[in-house]
Amino acid sequence: MTMRLGILATIFISGAAVMSLEMASFRQFSSYFGDDISIWGSLISVFLGGLAIGAMAGGLLADRRPALWKLGAILTVGGVLVLAMPFYSETVLDWASGKGNDLPKDWGTDSQDASGLIIYSPPSKHWQALGTGALLFGLPALLLGMASPYAARLYVRELKHVGGGVGLVYGISTLGSIVGTLGTSFYLVAWMGTRWILWSNAIGLVLLGAALAAAHGLRRGKQAAA
Amino acid sequence: MNWKIVFMVLAAGLTVGLLAFWVACQAAGEENTVVRYDRESKYYRIRVVDYPKEGRRCLVFSKSRGVQSSMILEEPDQLDLRYSRSMMAALALHPAPKQVLLVGLGGGSIPRFIQKHFPDLHLDIVELDPDVVKVCQEFFQFKAAPNTRVIVMDGRMYLKRSSQTYDVILLDAYAGDRVPFHLTTLEFVRLVKSRLNAGGLVASNLWEPAVNRFYYAELRTYQATFPQTYLFKCGDSGNFIVFGSLAEQAAAKDGWAKRAETLAAGKVFGFNLAALVRSEYARLTDRRIAEEPLTDDKAPVDTLRHESPKGFEEGQPQ
Repeated sequence: MTMRLGILATIFISGAAVMSLEMASFRQFSSYFGDDISIWGSLISVFLGGLAIGAMAGGLLADRRPALWKLGAILTVGGVLVLAMPFYSETVLDWASGKGNDLPKDWGTDSQDASGLIIYSPPSKHWQALGTGALLFGLPALLLGMASPYAARLYVRELKHVGGGVGLVYGISTLGSIVGTLGTSFYLVAWMGTRWILWSNAIGLVLLGAALAAAHGLRRGKQAAA
Repeated sequence: MNWKIVFMVLAAGLTVGLLAFWVACQAAGEENTVVRYDRESKYYRIRVVDYPKEGRRCLVFSKSRGVQSSMILEEPDQLDLRYSRSMMAALALHPAPKQVLLVGLGGGSIPRFIQKHFPDLHLDIVELDPDVVKVCQEFFQFKAAPNTRVIVMDGRMYLKRSSQTYDVILLDAYAGDRVPFHLTTLEFVRLVKSRLNAGGLVASNLWEPAVNRFYYAELRTYQATFPQTYLFKCGDSGNFIVFGSLAEQAAAKDGWAKRAETLAAGKVFGFNLAALVRSEYARLTDRRIAEEPLTDDKAPVDTLRHESPKGFEEGQPQ
């Protein structure tokens, strides 16, 4: 019973972290790529892509000797990646969004519209934004995406309860995502700024991973004693 | 009970009600106006609205409060909105401006004014939305000129990706009724500063009808970046212009107003720039503001806009 509640709590927190990170990524990227709907689209796609691949990988892994500590390890690695991100994300974003002499200086008469207006529309950088998003947030999103099927596998004990168990795990994960989205946009952006949003999520995930490993050890101890 | 009839009566009633509501909304909202253009762009719902009685044409984004731009149809080169007149004080603060950058084209009031009165100035205009450029050409008499160039992209990305420098940078980029957050931060204002020639300056339009914590945080951000800062209150319009200058010496009110007189000599601006400088001039450099500058990392602009400000404080500036 306790273990199953713990699994639901885990999936709630990892679901919250996914959306909290996504909101933080919008903030980070708009400073470099502009406040543009194609940037939002790029980042949403990166997270969905990570979750999709993660779900498939997590599902495969869950069929091979599932254990609580392995779920903890997945979340811890994700947390460590996020923890490190503020140390290199600005350099990567700065480089990817174009710098200094990237635009021609003396453009002019060669780009006129029909009325003679000198007008220049540089190509959009949304592909660069998509690539940078995948580079920075793809792996963390993938690892968090692994958590859901893995947790479902641990949660469900009997084959006849697969539907209910999987539904519960995914539902709780999505409720966590709502809390992550609202909490970040309503409060965290004002309270701590983007860098600390990333770090808080990272610390939360690492602690969660440690707690799962400890729970695993405890259960093993009990089983050995019995 | 015949449910079928009940349902049909309800459906008919709802339809009639909605129709009446729609007609009432149309009548209430569009009294004495003619909508010339109303279309969704990638960024906004752009509307061009004429007020025939006043002889005005306005650019409106979405249903936001206020207008982006206003033009008197008979006198398109007039600066109709108060804030755009105050912004022109920037041309008098700089001793000899040659290169000017405007971020945010809108209805093109400032470009028309500069093209008419200062045809020798090199004017670069950055506008995010290509449809705004088209609307400006079609409805706001924005025309080609040898010294005018338009760049269609985000203002911050342009400044970052181009090495072009300017004597005067005019910031007037609004998404409806607010400046996008990435154009408010210390990193952005420093980027603007890095694209100024020696002695250059920036003038930034702030529209905050009810001053709030964001307003003061933004003033603090400019104050923390530039050696000289000034703040003009544009009458009761709710607009403020923040000037940030690289000049070593502060400009006195009289000197600035006298240069405005020289600048206007022999020209018909349609308003008295020197008198405007005299009435709106205020130094910001020496004021103490109880806010932290906004940064890319922490700029909760939407929260700060809803919080009451502490305002200016007594004492030395930070």
